[in-house]
Amino acid sequence: MIAGAWLCLASPLAGALAITLLGTRIPRAAAGWISTATTGVAFAGAVWSFFGLRAHGSEHGTVSTAWTWLESGSFKAGLSILVDPLSTMMMLVVAGVSGLIVLYSVGYMDGDDEERRYFAYMSIFVFSMLLLVQGGNLLLLLAGWGLVGLSSYLLIGFWHERPTAVAAAKKAFVMNAFGDATMALAFFVLILHSHSLSFASSFATSAHLSSSTVNLVALGLLGGAAAKSAQIPLHTWLPDAMEGPTPVSALIHAATMVTAGVYLIARTHPIFEQARTVELVAAGMGALTLLVAGLIALVQTDIKRVIAYSTMSQIGYMFVGAGVGAYANGMFHLMTHAFFKALLFMAAGIVIHALSGEQDIRKMAGIGRLLPWTRWAFLAGALALVGIPPFAGFFSKDSIIAAALHAGWYGVVFWVVALVGAFLTGLYTFRLYFIVFPGEPSGYVREHHHMHHGHEGPRTMLLPVGVLAVLATIGGWIQFSPFWHPLTNWLDPVAATLGVAEPKNWEELVSSILAVALGLAGMGVAWAMYGRGRVAVPSLPRVQRTLEHKLYFDEAYDAVFTRPAAALALWLRRDFEEPVILTAGPDLGEAAFDTGRGLRRMQNGLLRTYVFFLGTGMAVLAIVFLLVR
Amino acid sequence: MSVADFTSLLVWLPIGAAIVVWVLPLSRYATGALAVLVALLEVGLWIEQAVRFDFGQHGLQFAQRGSWIDDLNVSYHVGEYGFSLWLVGLTVVAMAAAIGYGFWVGRDRPRAYFGLMLLLTGATVGVFVAQDLLLFYAFFEAMLIPLYVLVGVWGGPGRLGATVKFLIYTMTGSLLMLAAIVVYGLKVGTFDLVDGPASASRWLFLGFMFAFVIKAPLFPFHGWLPDTYREAPAEVTAVLSGVIAKVGTYAMLRIAIAKFPEPTSYYRTTMLVLSAAALVYGSVLAFRSPTLRGVVAYSSLAQSGLIALGLFSGTNLGYDGAVLQMVAHGLVSTALFLIAGAVERRTTTDQFALLGGMAKGRPALATLLMTVGIISLAVPGSAAFAGEFLILAGAFQRAWWWAAIGGGAIVLAAMYMLRAISGVLHEARGSTVDDAALDLRPGELALVVPLVGALLVLSAWPAGISHHSFVGNDPTRQVQEQFK
Amino acid sequence: MSGPGIAWYLGVAGFLFGTGALGVLLRRNPLIVLLSLEIMLNGANLALIAFSRHAQNGAGQIFALAVMAVAASEVCVGLGLVVAIHRRNLALDVDRLSELRG
Repeated sequence: MIAGAWLCLASPLAGALAITLLGTRIPRAAAGWISTATTGVAFAGAVWSFFGLRAHGSEHGTVSTAWTWLESGSFKAGLSILVDPLSTMMMLVVAGVSGLIVLYSVGYMDGDDEERRYFAYMSIFVFSMLLLVQGGNLLLLLAGWGLVGLSSYLLIGFWHERPTAVAAAKKAFVMNAFGDATMALAFFVLILHSHSLSFASSFATSAHLSSSTVNLVALGLLGGAAAKSAQIPLHTWLPDAMEGPTPVSALIHAATMVTAGVYLIARTHPIFEQARTVELVAAGMGALTLLVAGLIALVQTDIKRVIAYSTMSQIGYMFVGAGVGAYANGMFHLMTHAFFKALLFMAAGIVIHALSGEQDIRKMAGIGRLLPWTRWAFLAGALALVGIPPFAGFFSKDSIIAAALHAGWYGVVFWVVALVGAFLTGLYTFRLYFIVFPGEPSGYVREHHHMHHGHEGPRTMLLPVGVLAVLATIGGWIQFSPFWHPLTNWLDPVAATLGVAEPKNWEELVSSILAVALGLAGMGVAWAMYGRGRVAVPSLPRVQRTLEHKLYFDEAYDAVFTRPAAALALWLRRDFEEPVILTAGPDLGEAAFDTGRGLRRMQNGLLRTYVFFLGTGMAVLAIVFLLVR
Repeated sequence: MSVADFTSLLVWLPIGAAIVVWVLPLSRYATGALAVLVALLEVGLWIEQAVRFDFGQHGLQFAQRGSWIDDLNVSYHVGEYGFSLWLVGLTVVAMAAAIGYGFWVGRDRPRAYFGLMLLLTGATVGVFVAQDLLLFYAFFEAMLIPLYVLVGVWGGPGRLGATVKFLIYTMTGSLLMLAAIVVYGLKVGTFDLVDGPASASRWLFLGFMFAFVIKAPLFPFHGWLPDTYREAPAEVTAVLSGVIAKVGTYAMLRIAIAKFPEPTSYYRTTMLVLSAAALVYGSVLAFRSPTLRGVVAYSSLAQSGLIALGLFSGTNLGYDGAVLQMVAHGLVSTALFLIAGAVERRTTTDQFALLGGMAKGRPALATLLMTVGIISLAVPGSAAFAGEFLILAGAFQRAWWWAAIGGGAIVLAAMYMLRAISGVLHEARGSTVDDAALDLRPGELALVVPLVGALLVLSAWPAGISHHSFVGNDPTRQVQEQFK
Repeated sequence: MSGPGIAWYLGVAGFLFGTGALGVLLRRNPLIVLLSLEIMLNGANLALIAFSRHAQNGAGQIFALAVMAVAASEVCVGLGLVVAIHRRNLALDVDRLSELRG
């Protein structure tokens, strides 16, 4: 079990090192296979530790430490990994979905000059994400957290000749760095009180902290979670992150990295439960994001950006679930979301690949005719996303909505928002489907479409999409609360659902019916507007423009942070550094010179002056002596 | 010859080699090879010492003492503690890389050049191992002479102005420190650092600190830094930033904080404010610096501030973090400036406006610059992060706002370092970058890769330094007892 | 000893000293400066001898002899310098002889 976990963690790192050190000695495609193989080994390790844990008895986790990573005074943090129900679940999801996406990348990135670099970065990412979920103490979690942000930067900016890609990568990293900083501050508080960052001692300490202190700790953790998961107000980096290759968007910005915030809340829920207010702030943040992202998705014209905003919105659901205390539900939606969102991105990737890089949906009309298999796969993902039974999303999303209903008066607000979100999800998802897939292929499509040896795409791309389509369909069947909930049971020892978030049966029923109905309604409206074109899209130019500008968050941040920072730097340099600091030393030298020059005038070479001074001096001395004596 | 003799050998071997190089009319190649050989021998001697060092033993190790000026109780007293062992290691490794770089690049007047570099090595090691104040002062000054000449002769177009500035600043500090040393020595009757008692004199503390805040440097005494770092040859800047700056912070710990406990706590807030100011000011200015060297120079200012923040927080975490950060940043900074030198040699400039797109077709350069840059901005998981985390955790124990300022500096560091990396590697090809600008050659790789390797090892095991700098688990007590 | 009181001698000595001093400060010709210097010295000598006589101590008179010897040597050097300056056709004017300046 422990060996499996170490294997899972070490394998992708070994892959990344191998690719880096072998460099140009291996053919480009070989890098892809190395990466896929090591990720596969990681998945095997995850499976091994999962079954090992099941056999062992999953009450508590086991921490295994390789060596002491950092130690100072009484503070000690080991290089340790944790094997417990939550971490094994995440290991399986991360390693499994990553493996499929890396395999997909072998086909997608085929022919790119820098394929080896890409796969090295992918392996570094998989390693970092696994470190994050397996980290046995908060410090190592933070290390994984930061490295995941680094991998995201490297992969978003993969095509680094493009200024937009480089800028997007920097933006993602800086916003994540802000989250890292808030988490570090939270950790400093914990260290101050307990001299340790192990999970057990941190949770124990948080029970003894004053309410304001523990709220600050939770707030710091939430800051990191919000930044990583692109929740409002730290969400502006995610749409820009679509500059990266599509598999990157699928893996990092849909399935794994962005869900790390949800994992964090579930993992550190004892701390959040001491700071219930902050936990509810998290839920509120999720609710706000799910609504706003859904609205913005309605006006996007880039296929990847629609899916990106959809991701933001779905993570909002997960935050609502975790925030009200339904951790298992949040994690369940994390898992199903990984399946269907990766599927959607990868299907979109097949379309983009077939159209040689085009991402504007207005040009893609009717491509379903030419890519039928992709179309059905996409449809499966879309239905899962909207939450139509028996597809996966239905089981996971509705359980969150029901939990919200049960959780008090604020929960009702979240419930309403979540239901509105269900309508919006149906609307934007099927707006996308109806614009892109059905109907007659447009002129652009007919001109630019190319098949891959008679297939819709290379097999390395089609196979993972197929697997995920199956998972998107049946993946939800693992839990149908309240009737059968093995997942909740599995996570119970480490992430027990709060009583306030356990919905009653009638609440489940009502929520499910309403959610499905609203989802179908959204689909219907989308069909009416975009499928048949019978109903015109309402024209609200001001609203449209605001949504297109993503509610002007980017402009606001630019005005409040970036430009003042640059202005401050330039002002300091021009008006302080250059005139004051840089000249202080030479000014001192100048002062010395000037003093000398002044004094030099006394030496004028004239005898009379010297005699005069001599005489006067002597007279003064004589008087002084006479008087003093 | 016992391992204890290695301490003196580490100091005098390079100085002796410098004299040999100046006297013997060897060819350019032979001179360079001899210098590199001596530098590598130094590294070997240090490794031997490190292996034999007993990290659980109190007090000075590998000590040697000889009489010098007995009437005033001035002796030739050298030895190492845990933290000074690491700093000596940093010195010999960084100097080996710098000498190797000078050999690879080929400087004119090689005998003068290599002699000066060797002298610099010996003098800097001397500063870290000296346990007598006058001996410390002698090595401190001896360290500056080769620097002046190296910058003034082999530097860039504005080198004379930079040297003058450097000279004025450091001389002012040194003179005040000399006054403080003399007063202290005469007052307590001995100049020895190990035997000498603590003193409560605030003036003496200020006299010493003045020299150290200029050396480190800290805001606002850093006026010499931008020009000198810009004009010096790349490997000299690497040494200035990686090693010489650490002399300042080392001395703050060894002399100012250890010997003057009461003034330290009296001026603690002032020093914390100055350190935080250096951290923020350096980071903000780095963000808009138009050249690669400028970014790394102001980043060094920020890091000196961070290290001083750790030292003056007066907590266990702060001290350990400061030592770890000294070593980590020393390695990072050396590597960054050597890479900057490599870029400059290929494109004659380090201005971002004229650079760009160098990653294409130059995988070694891109990988190394990216790796070192990322470690430099303290990405979680790296050695620099470990040091920064400990320092800020320690500062937090003093008061929450120091750590909050540090958190802001973390974000700023991400901003300026990524801007620097992209400015060189990414986007469109700069006007000065052409196909003749090759990837890093094996010679250059041989210099940078060991530094990066050391950093990666340190990132995997930062406890190697953080837990092995002070005896026992209690640096604060060690400092209180003046490392006895 | 009868005769005028010491105050008279000192007065004359002071007068001589003052005259000499003014001459050194106000005259431009180096020869006159040297001459004034001599007058100053003589004034000092007179004072020495007067005090010696008054205190019945011979030391003052012996010191006066020493002063005369020093004065003589110094005049030799000074006149030598003046001759050298004149030989080079430089103006014999202390205000113009200012090469040894800062």
